[in-house]
Amino acid sequence: MPQFDTQFFSSLLFWEVVSFGILLWVLYKFAFPAILETLEARERKIRESLEQAERHRVEAEQKLQQYQAKLSAASRDAEAVLVQAKERAQRLLEENELRVVAETERIKGEALRDIEQARRRAVQEIHSQTADLALLVAERVVGKSLDKADHRRLADEALQAIAEHQKT
Amino acid sequence: MDNPLHPFELHPFWHLSLFGLDISLNKAVLMMWLVIALVAVLLIAAASSRRLVPGKLQSLGEILVEFIRGIILDTIGKEGMRFFPFVATLFLFILFCNLIGLIPGSYTVTSQIVVTAAFALFVYSMSLVVGFLYHGVKFLGILIPPGTPGWLLPLMMPVELISQLARPLSLAVRLFANMTAGHTVLAVLFGMVLSLPLVIGWLPFAFSVAINGLEVIIAFIQAYIFTILTCVYLGDAINLHGHEEHAH
Repeated sequence: MPQFDTQFFSSLLFWEVVSFGILLWVLYKFAFPAILETLEARERKIRESLEQAERHRVEAEQKLQQYQAKLSAASRDAEAVLVQAKERAQRLLEENELRVVAETERIKGEALRDIEQARRRAVQEIHSQTADLALLVAERVVGKSLDKADHRRLADEALQAIAEHQKT
Repeated sequence: MDNPLHPFELHPFWHLSLFGLDISLNKAVLMMWLVIALVAVLLIAAASSRRLVPGKLQSLGEILVEFIRGIILDTIGKEGMRFFPFVATLFLFILFCNLIGLIPGSYTVTSQIVVTAAFALFVYSMSLVVGFLYHGVKFLGILIPPGTPGWLLPLMMPVELISQLARPLSLAVRLFANMTAGHTVLAVLFGMVLSLPLVIGWLPFAFSVAINGLEVIIAFIQAYIFTILTCVYLGDAINLHGHEEHAH
């Protein structure tokens, strides 16, 4: 086998060591650090991006929940406002009705009182006029024989009799 | 028919000597230079563009580096990244020697036993040195598998010693034999193509095409095996059957 020909061993060994040494030095100096660093930078970047995406997702979910909560609270508020407004309107309506009725009653009562007063005055007026009239008539009939006090007494008696008569 | 081992012959074409040592240039030496030039250019070009979204060349360089980093992290652990430059250079050197050797007219440096043996001995010696540096005399415990009962020690220690000594030998011979065998088969097939009439001659030719494809795969696999065994030996030396997660 030609590979066991020791004639070439020394030169092969020497050049193997030299070539390998040069290659190792060149790569160690100019290639490996840069490539390894780039790989690590990319790994870091990917990891960070993933973490950031996860953070954003969680944040978005929280925001969504907050908005949903706010939205449902707002709709509950609106409903409550509506109910309140309805109640208020109903109450106002009822109050108004009551007030109108009371006012009507009051006006009616006043009117009745006025009428009653007017009637009483009228009756009294009639009384006094009737007495005077009767006195006048009696004077004409009887002639001036009775004094004023007698007149009054007689007239009152006559009126009393008339009133009794009217009642029966 | 030519001797199928003819492609492995070397002929010095420029006689050189250094302190009486013969360092004549031959085809294999030229191939080593070609290999280190190619690897250096490729990796430096890949390293020069350090974009976050890589181009084609940068991707290739990063795939190779990531591949070796994966092997080291899997077999040794974080501590093994200290040896990354050596292991990566070893892998790239062997891989490109294997691949360039497949080009007709070139020479497969790794089919020289002296080349593979030098790598294997260096790797094994390094693992021993690393082991003693990390663990001192306790590193001799590598000869005693964990959980061995005391009465078995006289039997186990020679067995383990032999397995340790077999490591550099198998490492060297595996790569050398695979490269030699593949090229010998190809040479035999081509010899048959040339010496047989066309009617049957196409058959070995078709085979040689298929075997050539297989050889590309073998070039990768052998470089990978050499590298992963290097890592395993270094891992044994560093972790000294202490880490279950790196047990094999």
